[in-house]
Amino acid sequence: MPSSTTRSDIEIDQLSKVFGSGDDAVRALDAVSLTIPENEFFTLLGPSGCGKTTLLRMIAGFEQPSSGAIRLGGSDIADLPPNKRPVNTVFQSYALFPHMTVAQNIGFALKMLGRPKAEIEATVAEMLKLVKMEPMANRKPSQISGGQQQRVALARALAPRPRVLLLDEPLSALDLKLRKEMQVELKRLQGETGITFVFVTHDQEEALTMSDRIAVMSAGKVRQVGTPREIYNHPADRFVADFIGDTNFLTATVEKANGATARVRLPSGHQLDAGLPTGLSPVSGDEVTLVTRPEHARLATEGPLKGTVENAVYFGTDTHIHVRLDTGDLFILRNQNTTSAAALPEKGDPVAIAIPDGAVRIVRS
Amino acid sequence: MGKRNFSVASLPGFGTIAIITFIFLYLPIVTLVVYSFNEAASMSRWEGFSLRWYEAALANRQVQDVSIRSLVIAGWAATLATILATMAALATTRNERRFPGQTMIYALINQPLMVPEIVTGVALLIFFAMIKIATGYQGLGYLIAAHTAFCIPFAYLPIRARLETMDLTLERAAADLYATPLQAFRHVTLPLLVPGILAGFMLGFVTSLDTVVITEFVKSAGQDTLPTYMLGQLRRVVTPEMNAISTLFLLLSLIAVTVFFLLSRKKA
Ligand SMILES: Nc1ncnc2c1ncn2[C@@H]1O[C@H](COP(=O)(O)OP(=O)(O)OP(=O)(O)O)[C@@H](O)[C@H]1O
Ligand SMILES: [Mg+2]
Repeated sequence: MPSSTTRSDIEIDQLSKVFGSGDDAVRALDAVSLTIPENEFFTLLGPSGCGKTTLLRMIAGFEQPSSGAIRLGGSDIADLPPNKRPVNTVFQSYALFPHMTVAQNIGFALKMLGRPKAEIEATVAEMLKLVKMEPMANRKPSQISGGQQQRVALARALAPRPRVLLLDEPLSALDLKLRKEMQVELKRLQGETGITFVFVTHDQEEALTMSDRIAVMSAGKVRQVGTPREIYNHPADRFVADFIGDTNFLTATVEKANGATARVRLPSGHQLDAGLPTGLSPVSGDEVTLVTRPEHARLATEGPLKGTVENAVYFGTDTHIHVRLDTGDLFILRNQNTTSAAALPEKGDPVAIAIPDGAVRIVRS
Repeated sequence: MGKRNFSVASLPGFGTIAIITFIFLYLPIVTLVVYSFNEAASMSRWEGFSLRWYEAALANRQVQDVSIRSLVIAGWAATLATILATMAALATTRNERRFPGQTMIYALINQPLMVPEIVTGVALLIFFAMIKIATGYQGLGYLIAAHTAFCIPFAYLPIRARLETMDLTLERAAADLYATPLQAFRHVTLPLLVPGILAGFMLGFVTSLDTVVITEFVKSAGQDTLPTYMLGQLRRVVTPEMNAISTLFLLLSLIAVTVFFLLSRKKA
């Protein structure tokens, strides 16, 4: 969590955006409020169409809010056109200027700002070095690869040292290997420059590995904001739990709530202690949704869940075991593979599943 | 060559039809050009190679006058039409949201493509006559104005086509990188638009050179252009001098088209 001493850089206050009007109005953003402190790697994560790009475009100034405010370092930027905002964007399509060389692209912003030639040259050289593109300074964008274009787009946006860098799915066009490299690279650049990054992705793994904090969005709303750990381990609702990582859902009945946990009873009669999200306090007898991660459960001879193995899928590092529970629900376990070829269950085997304390949480449905 | 790839070229008769089409397109022109080198004064008999009709045409003061007038009018009209068409194309493609009546404006700009030329000619005749009486001005301005209006759609179409293939994100990126709207236009839009502008200018230029009907109605006495002069001559005597003039005219058009084609290719 950011300490209270860091200054907040971006404040988004009850921001809404409605496209169109009347019957075919689309509410792309619905009263979104976020605070992003300085120097943070902040990620907007959510499925397609949830309003991530719309939010970025409003911060950049390409789109006007329908209502609400955006403040940058404390001052409202609603009336500033894009060219007056200390915010730069790395576009999903890169949007490199095709008629300019790599160096000219990187120097563009400084040239527009009327900086002296020597300063522009020095910054361009520094940026080329930062993104390891020195040998290609004089090439045109059409003469470099997709990954290289991506790095140039990044250097171009970083060159004027913006306060905030907005990145709209900058890695989605890259192949897996390059993507992993660029993830590391981006993280390094953010650390070295100390610029606030607002990063958009719909890839939950990317979000978990790169971010200081994540906002999970769906249908124009922010569902949860938190560190990757908080989001993964303490999902606030069913949507977040489902969207981030693989999740097993169970239904249970509350026996007794006591603060941060609740005693719940499974249909099998077994009782478990389940964690509670903040603000939720169910009472005895309530039906609740439980979530548990596949890697936390394990096969056992005796346990609260019983079922039959449907499938065991080998994934190299681990094996995914699909169990059809006696209640009819599907439950997935992830077993780490070890060198000793421990016997894996086979299709049709009756099994029991044990869930350690603290591995089950109640979520809002 | 996979069998699954259908190609019209594999249809029976494709070659024959192609050849007939090319004959239709080019045989008359080839005949015209060949007979411009004919020694004879008649159009129908070949009496050997000669450049005498070219000499006659080039020495003809009237031909010189009308040619220069044609070039002056085409130069002005194409330039003005290109500037106006560029502005119109920017206005109809470079807005984030379509403004009301945008399709209507598109149609209005292309008026000369839809209104019969003869109607435009008559309308201009009457309209300019009123202005002439009111102002007493008799100069080339009327022809330049009429040609400019007529050339706008020809200049507009390639410019608009070019703009439509240009990603709006580029201008957005420029604005994001602190370019004022004017700087974004100057450093991003305009350089990328150059091939479209050159193509638009070329089309406008050639269209103006070629326009007969409108010129015929608008011109004052002594304001013949090359095509109206040729038309006037053909009504009287037909000599191979006409072939020579036509060939030179063709050459001029070809050079204009080629130059602009090469220029726009280099820029693209
Ligand atoms: N200019 C527009 N006019 C009308 N509706 C729009 C416009 N731009 C976006 N929308 C709608 O707003 C919603 C949010 O769109 P947005 O582009 O922000 O989604 P996104 O989260 O970036 O999705 P993706 O991951 O697919 O890029 C969508 O339903 C979209 O159809
Ligand atoms: Mg998007």
